[in-house]
Amino acid sequence: MAADSSSSSPIKSEFASDPDMADLVAEFVGELGSRTQSLQEALSQSKFADLQRLSHQLKGACGGYGFPSLGEAAAKLEASLKKNASEPQAAALDDISRQVNELVDLCRRATT
Amino acid sequence: MADSTTQPAAVKSDDGRPVVLVIDDSQDVHRLLRARLKQEEVELIPAMSGAEGIKLATKYMPAAILLDIDMPGMDGFEVLRTLKDDPATLHLPVIILSGQQSAQDKVTAFELGSVDYITKPFEFTELRVRLRSVLRTHRLMQLLSQRAQLDGLTGLWNRLFFDSRWADEVSRNQRHARPLSVALLDVDHFKSVNDTYGHPAGDAVLQGVAKVLQRECRQSDVACRYGGEEFVIVMPDTSAADGAKVCDRIRAALEEISWPRHPERKITASFGIAGASGASALTPAAWVEAADRNLYAAKKGGRNRVVSSDVTAQTNLRAAS
Repeated sequence: MAADSSSSSPIKSEFASDPDMADLVAEFVGELGSRTQSLQEALSQSKFADLQRLSHQLKGACGGYGFPSLGEAAAKLEASLKKNASEPQAAALDDISRQVNELVDLCRRATT
Repeated sequence: MADSTTQPAAVKSDDGRPVVLVIDDSQDVHRLLRARLKQEEVELIPAMSGAEGIKLATKYMPAAILLDIDMPGMDGFEVLRTLKDDPATLHLPVIILSGQQSAQDKVTAFELGSVDYITKPFEFTELRVRLRSVLRTHRLMQLLSQRAQLDGLTGLWNRLFFDSRWADEVSRNQRHARPLSVALLDVDHFKSVNDTYGHPAGDAVLQGVAKVLQRECRQSDVACRYGGEEFVIVMPDTSAADGAKVCDRIRAALEEISWPRHPERKITASFGIAGASGASALTPAAWVEAADRNLYAAKKGGRNRVVSSDVTAQTNLRAAS
């Protein structure tokens, strides 16, 4: 379950103390900003295929870098997008926007 | 697993580590695996799509393939099907990487021929031990399949291996018009060695011939025991004339040997070569028949000699006169 979205506490990678992973996690966290920006752009331009691809990539990556709560949020978003194919209805669209914002918020809180 | 249609795969990188091909559309996964498998004795080759993965699998013949299911374009199942449909890649062990936990996906993966299934996000310790186990099994399979293709008496490749390797070489010659030769070697009067000195002496002669072949053949030549006292040498990138030079060297070296069991009796051999300087239309069998006719001519001409002919322009209907 994603952490509650009102919280603003930082989310640490599960691998924060793993010396093998420290550099990689730092690099990943550093890139998260541009990734969330791409998510928001895809949403505002209604590019749902892009949005699905981005969320799919984030799903795998977040889990792999030790951020399972981010991975779950990305997985939920991807699943909603898959269900609604290319043109989500208004209700689904609200849901998707909300999920994007949740994911973006979680990503902002990610830290090494 | 002793796959008779392919030669033992090249599963080692230049520095001797097994090659592991990773097919995944996510750069993150490649980065993670590189970090997580750093301590393992493997060389990772990344492929960013299914199509690229298939190309690299054919090129490197990896010791294991880690394959993502959920990829845009060609998905993992399709990649798996393609790999299993090609005799050249059919035996490569594939471990599925998937974010899907569904039992049906696992069943499909195993039914399509994968050897293991790992769910993402990875539990890296699990990934490491599973990969090791797959590599270990693969190495043993390779050893077994190699054993099945070696001749017990001489240690040379056997007929089974020759047949598959020769078919590969002939199709390479047809596709790329590279020179190619095949030589048949028959020990002269072998039956009388057996009859006069006994079968152990005959066996020693066959082992001695094999030793000469191993010593005198070039790195790229493939010497095999064809059956009985007959041997066959595959000579890639070699014209009939060059093949004849190699065989004459072997012939001379053999003639020089002094045999402990029968110092008074020299051993010689006759050679028949069929070679082409460019693409030949001959079937693998027709090539060998052409070499066999030359071998017969060498025997008829007095033995202890090499007879070769160029088959570049010959056709299967009238392979030789």
